[in-house]
Amino acid sequence: MTVFHFFNCAILTFGPHAVYYSATPLSEYDTLGTSVKAALVYLGTALVKLVCLATFLKVSENDGFDPYQELLKALIGFIDVAGLYFALTQLYHRNISQNHKFQAVGLGWAFADSVLHRLAPLWVGARGLEFTWDYILQGLEANANLVLSISLAALGSLMWLRKNKPKTLIPIIYACAGIVATMPSITSYLRRGLGWHFPKVVGFELFTSLVMAFISWQLFSACQRPSA
Amino acid sequence: MAASKKSGGPRDMLESMYSVIALVFILVACVELCDAAAVVDVYRLIQYDMSGSPFGSRLASLNHHAASLHFPPGADLSRTVLIIPLRELNITFVREYINQKKPLGGLLFLLPEVFSFENGGNKQIHEKEKMKNVLAELEQLLIHANIPYPVYFAFENDEIETVLADIKKNDAIGQPATATTGGYKLVIPTPEPKKVASPTITNIQGWLAGLKADGEANQLPTIAIVASYDTFGVAPALSVGSDSNGSGIVALLEIARLFSLLYSNPKTRGRYNLLFGLTSGGPYNYNGTQKWLRSFDQRLRESIDYAICLNSIGSWDNELWIHVSKPPENAYIKQIFEGFSNVAEELDLKVGLKHKKINISNPRVAWEHEQFSRLRVTAATLSELSVAPDILEGTGGLFDSRQFVNETAIIRGVKLVAESLARHIYGHQGKNVQIFADDSSLAVNPAYVRSWLDLLSQTPRVAPFLSKNDPFVMALKKELVDHTDEVNVQHENLEGMFTFYDSTSARLNIYQVASVTFDLLLLLVLGSYLIVLFSFLVITTRGLDDLISLFRRPPSRKVKTA
Repeated sequence: MTVFHFFNCAILTFGPHAVYYSATPLSEYDTLGTSVKAALVYLGTALVKLVCLATFLKVSENDGFDPYQELLKALIGFIDVAGLYFALTQLYHRNISQNHKFQAVGLGWAFADSVLHRLAPLWVGARGLEFTWDYILQGLEANANLVLSISLAALGSLMWLRKNKPKTLIPIIYACAGIVATMPSITSYLRRGLGWHFPKVVGFELFTSLVMAFISWQLFSACQRPSA
Repeated sequence: MAASKKSGGPRDMLESMYSVIALVFILVACVELCDAAAVVDVYRLIQYDMSGSPFGSRLASLNHHAASLHFPPGADLSRTVLIIPLRELNITFVREYINQKKPLGGLLFLLPEVFSFENGGNKQIHEKEKMKNVLAELEQLLIHANIPYPVYFAFENDEIETVLADIKKNDAIGQPATATTGGYKLVIPTPEPKKVASPTITNIQGWLAGLKADGEANQLPTIAIVASYDTFGVAPALSVGSDSNGSGIVALLEIARLFSLLYSNPKTRGRYNLLFGLTSGGPYNYNGTQKWLRSFDQRLRESIDYAICLNSIGSWDNELWIHVSKPPENAYIKQIFEGFSNVAEELDLKVGLKHKKINISNPRVAWEHEQFSRLRVTAATLSELSVAPDILEGTGGLFDSRQFVNETAIIRGVKLVAESLARHIYGHQGKNVQIFADDSSLAVNPAYVRSWLDLLSQTPRVAPFLSKNDPFVMALKKELVDHTDEVNVQHENLEGMFTFYDSTSARLNIYQVASVTFDLLLLLVLGSYLIVLFSFLVITTRGLDDLISLFRRPPSRKVKTA
């Protein structure tokens, strides 16, 4: 029964990635290699982040929200953006359209994140006899994270790969990218600074991810129009 | 991320550490972590065989759903653990279930905290008295029944109260917890109980030699003071027996201490040897006493003038009983009784004499002195009980805890015994001299009595579960070494009709579980979510026609996309 529950939570956590890959044209153009490369870049980035966090952050004894530490953490969080930049621009990709490239990178990125952050707690926790809602919520969080990663990758590809974009949209693009990149810090603030509970935080994440996805989609199509 | 809610402070570290930890965990995937909602210490009902027939709880491991007494009538309880708080216990209900051998997954009795030797207080005396009777009845019922499922005892605490309240709520709605409706699951992962291989009993004897006049050829007479120290109770890990026979041990140790003071000075050393015996195997017809007496050589046995056995002298008001096997007209008995009653009069308490003939053909030995009487040694038992208890009764049950024992009663008992012994030894019979007067250096020490009583009230002492070198046995030995000239420890095998099984205590994990139907439903929801997501993505990226063609001609998909 508990293996069943683990199975359910795993579907919720990793299913959308697979569905995204098979439902969109990504599967038709065989972009798996790109996703795997992006995942590897994520691994490297996570390692660098880990080293930075361990070096610069001191372990706080109390549970409070320390603005200075959080700021530092947000800055370290921007290493992600650097990693994403590397994955989008520096990696050799087979000749696939920008359209598919950012999706493949975002997907690989989100999948690696899910595997690293969620698989272990899921395996250890969800198989236990004790029932909690945590693992289902965590699965939902993985969904939100997928959407956010793809949005960030889309905005990144707009920033770094597309040359002829409307001038008026550039500040908006940068602002959105900034918001999406600081999302982990925002949720951390909500959870610890304002003391929100996990379900509420997950709800917020889902909501904002959908909003950001919609905005980046609009931006992307707006940028595509002149070139098309 | 889920763990971050609990981990608090170093959460940031943990979050980034997960990446590394994940890899490690994938490698050690078999590791099972205990993450139960509550973990409670539980104590198992004793499991034993008497002359080959099984008694007590025959199982130890437990993995069932929990239910309260409010379960719907007619429910199948064969895979359910009933949690019964002692306050709500309906003894006829339990009796019916056990006697009719109705199927049950298990039983968990919740004892009020006042019975715990850690948290006992003096509150609710009235309630305690009532519960004491209920417990005594329950105990006799459980000890003499053969129960094919696990039975455990636990003390009430906040965690288990919350769980129980939840279960009651579920039961009241009419939704008992089974595999399909969720609820709480009680898990005790213990291996099958094993027989205790050749249980040993340990007798400890201390010898305080009297003063022998020069040139005296005859051996000095000996007076023996004996108390049996082990217990037997419904839950061996809780069987502390503060009164039976903790009070007897305390009294014996204090008497030994007092006489060691007297005997340390040659001027006050009496012309009697004193023999102190702490015997084991008391609940099993004083098996240890029998072995101990058999090990004496003939001369020593014949030199024993008389023996005083101390049994349950911790909770009496004003009357003690001297139990003897010889008729009261017997000169020795008369002498002992008069000695005691004279002192008793001065101490303003009453001593009664009870005569019970022994039947050699009956294996039952109700009093410790009967073992002496069988070997023709004059002996008497001093006890607050007026009638002999049945076998395995009154030997340290659950209710026999510190709260029900009165220190002053023990102190008075000590005074009575010590004073009458001293008068006998120093030949002051009938004279009104107080040797152990309250303010003298030979006064009974209440602090000593209290500290030993507290220790005994925290130490379960069921003989088969006490090893040869148990710290408790060592402590008793050391105490006698301090107060006597010579101490001998005798190890014997517990013979007779008893076989015991181990695993007397365990840890109970209480899990809140979801039902299978919930997971099925969840799977359904997730499946439809993924299908909707798939359709949505196909429509937005490739168009509706593509989606339809996917279903219409699946094999042609490749041709079309190529």
